[in-house]
Amino acid sequence: MTRKTDDILSRRKFLIASGAAGLTGLAGCTENNSNSESEPTEASGGSGGSEDSGSGSGSGESATLSGDINIAGSSTVFPLATAMGERFKKEHSEVNINLQSTGSGGGFANYFCPGQTDFNNASRPIKGEEEQQCADNDVTPVELKVATDALTVIVNNDNDFIGEGLTVEQLKTIFSAEGKPTMWSDVNSEWPEEEIEIFGPTDASGTYDYFIEAIIGEEGPGHRQDYSATEQDRTIIQGVMGSEFAIGYMGFAYYSENTDAVQAVAVDNGDGYVEPSLDTALSGDYTPLSRPLFTYPAKGSLAKDHVAEFARYWMENSTSKKIVADEVGYVPLGEDEQQEMLDKLNSAIEEAN
Amino acid sequence: MATEQDSSYAQGFGQVSRTAGLIFRYLLLAATMFGIVTLAVLLVYVANDAIQPLTADAGWHLTFFLTLVLPTILVGGALYRRNREALKLGGMVVGALLVSLMFSGGVAIVFIDIIPPLTGFSYAVGLVVAVAGTVLLTKYERQIPFTARVAATGLLFFLSLFGVPGYFHSIPELVQKAPVVPTDWIILTLVLGGVTALVVGQYIARVREDNKAGLAAGASALVLTALGAIVGPLVGIDANALVVVTAVSFVPTAAYAGGSVITREELKPGLVFAATVIVGALVGAVAVDALGFAGPQAWTDWQFLTSSHSGSAENAGLYPAIGGSILLMVTVAALSFPLGVGAAVYLEEYAPDNRFTRFIDVNISNLAGVPSVVYGLLGLGVFVTYLGQATGTVLIGGATLALLILPIVIISSREAIRSVPNDMRQASYGMGATRWQTVRNVVLPEAFPGILTGTILALGRAIGETAPLIMIGAPNVLFNLPTELSSKVSAMPLQVYAWSSLFASEDFYTKAVPAGVVVLLAVLLAMNSIAIVLRNKYESET
Repeated sequence: MTRKTDDILSRRKFLIASGAAGLTGLAGCTENNSNSESEPTEASGGSGGSEDSGSGSGSGESATLSGDINIAGSSTVFPLATAMGERFKKEHSEVNINLQSTGSGGGFANYFCPGQTDFNNASRPIKGEEEQQCADNDVTPVELKVATDALTVIVNNDNDFIGEGLTVEQLKTIFSAEGKPTMWSDVNSEWPEEEIEIFGPTDASGTYDYFIEAIIGEEGPGHRQDYSATEQDRTIIQGVMGSEFAIGYMGFAYYSENTDAVQAVAVDNGDGYVEPSLDTALSGDYTPLSRPLFTYPAKGSLAKDHVAEFARYWMENSTSKKIVADEVGYVPLGEDEQQEMLDKLNSAIEEAN
Repeated sequence: MATEQDSSYAQGFGQVSRTAGLIFRYLLLAATMFGIVTLAVLLVYVANDAIQPLTADAGWHLTFFLTLVLPTILVGGALYRRNREALKLGGMVVGALLVSLMFSGGVAIVFIDIIPPLTGFSYAVGLVVAVAGTVLLTKYERQIPFTARVAATGLLFFLSLFGVPGYFHSIPELVQKAPVVPTDWIILTLVLGGVTALVVGQYIARVREDNKAGLAAGASALVLTALGAIVGPLVGIDANALVVVTAVSFVPTAAYAGGSVITREELKPGLVFAATVIVGALVGAVAVDALGFAGPQAWTDWQFLTSSHSGSAENAGLYPAIGGSILLMVTVAALSFPLGVGAAVYLEEYAPDNRFTRFIDVNISNLAGVPSVVYGLLGLGVFVTYLGQATGTVLIGGATLALLILPIVIISSREAIRSVPNDMRQASYGMGATRWQTVRNVVLPEAFPGILTGTILALGRAIGETAPLIMIGAPNVLFNLPTELSSKVSAMPLQVYAWSSLFASEDFYTKAVPAGVVVLLAVLLAMNSIAIVLRNKYESET
């Protein structure tokens, strides 16, 4: 019985449909020019890679770029990559940019080298073992410097006992696996006898690796492990906000968003205390914690037009004070550095094709 | 006081103190209230952040109070005293309109932005052809052996939808290559309006017990939908969007209201209540616009719903995440519903009571309690590492979430099937029906509302899950809607999580995050309300 109603209704539907189509006449119909566009959407089964390559080169230059760009890696570079992606997306709406914050090391090991992503952001240069892992999977990373960061040590706003700042020696004492002082008074006998609460990035993070390299030393005892480790910089800020006797470190960008919440520690490397800031990082005064930030496109991915175009776009805007410094909070590249990176990128793109 | 009196009476018999009982009772009350009040405070706090009602002009509040709140209270109060059933209907109509409006938004995302209308149309045509063929085959049910009929039906669907590459074009292919095709709004009217017209027509035909009335209702539903496309551009609304909203929201709500009144005359005043609320809201909106009162500076606004992530919290939006959540839910439902219901039917109706089924029984209950992050690891291990799929795609996310809610779907479906009275089964057997006929014609129809309710509630859990998506490597930020099963996907809770953790600025924390939470909760409430309405409706019917 219901089936019968169905039948009548659908017949009725077609009658009405043809009536409506007739009424609106040609105004209601359009010439079908969407074949070329709708086809790839249809044909796409599982392999996203093969269709990406064709669409860009087909007709015209930049207007028809389409495909996926997958980016993972450092949480420090993540805001910068997001800012670039947001702008690139406005010019090329057909390009899908997917960003993930996994930490430099996590990104290389789990996403980039297995071939899952096109770019890996890193807040330290790629390690030998990671290059080996990539090579085993036929992934060739191309190192591009994108900005300079001032790795920032933060303490609670109420902390006044450390005075002007901390020396590199003191930082080393606090964070190294050797000694592992539990009380501030263990570091400096004039400081209060209160427990040090330490917050920092995890060992998947490039910030962690760079901190070891710059403060503790590669050959040294290593980073202490009895601290609150997180890949979310906000958690570090909240942790330090919550306790007068807390200390932590992170990229400058996150600190610059929260200058009221916590205070940055000036660092003395033998030439007096230097506050972390874009200026001191650029001038080279903020040592040893100013550091280069990188992104690593895979050479194979650069063969795809939309990936190459995005890499170029990023490099072309890497000197932009507005994006890199004002919006994100890092030091932009100089003109010379930018030219060097662009040359490197262009030759890599040529090789890839 | 009462206790004192009682104890003085009872003095001669020795004393039983009621204090302990009283304390216990109020402790229980406190325990009940504690959680609810805490949650309510949190929600009010978040909603206040997201909507900021206090930033609106006093005139804005006054206007809406006069046009919407006051008449609603007056009409509602009057109805409450005289005709509570009618008030209930009025409330249902308003609720149905709100919920269906939200759903029409979802449908619009899917059928306009994710699936190009022409593609959708081509598949709809393919399906209709195949279904028509099947109906034709059923007419010759007795002449053709069962196996041949099943094979023919399968072949029909396959040929019509997929064709044989190189030999035989599939219907979608033919439609997409046609030299002249209908414009988008006509396609949407035919496909969505057609489905609505079918449902509305059947509903009216049933309540009026008159096929002609059903036909008329269906036809007018279709005409109304088409009208949407014609009226839309005149008032500055996109024709496609209005067609979708009309087909998914306005027409069904109107049909529901009309149908209820047809069956029960005395409920008519309820429509007055619904009209008061709807007209009041519209008049209020027009009035504040005309008088120039500024509304609240809500963060949950149109811009937030329709734009993608941005570096600044003011411009950030949830759109790709909303689309992602919808696609994930479609995938999850498509995977978990047949598997879950199938398992439930087997376990309840077929499985022998032995050690093996008891073992499965216990384990399904255990699986329902396994933390979601473990399912995330399972998805990562099985789909990404073992099967070598790309990380974070719609298919993998959907499959992982489907695994997550599968035990819940099974348990609630079994519950529903078990609640079908055994007498009905026996009666069916008594009439000579086979077990398969009994399950198909008696048990499943009877248990279906319960199964549906359970599944919707389970989907409500899946839509809020974050951990499995993080585990399978779904991107924290993306700017486009996912358009295929193989594209990367984000979801609403994941986007909120990314904002609250990766974007450390206070701005994101006070603007984008509460706005996202409010949208997520609204969607969740809408889904749950459907489940609750379904349950109440069928509980009262049986």
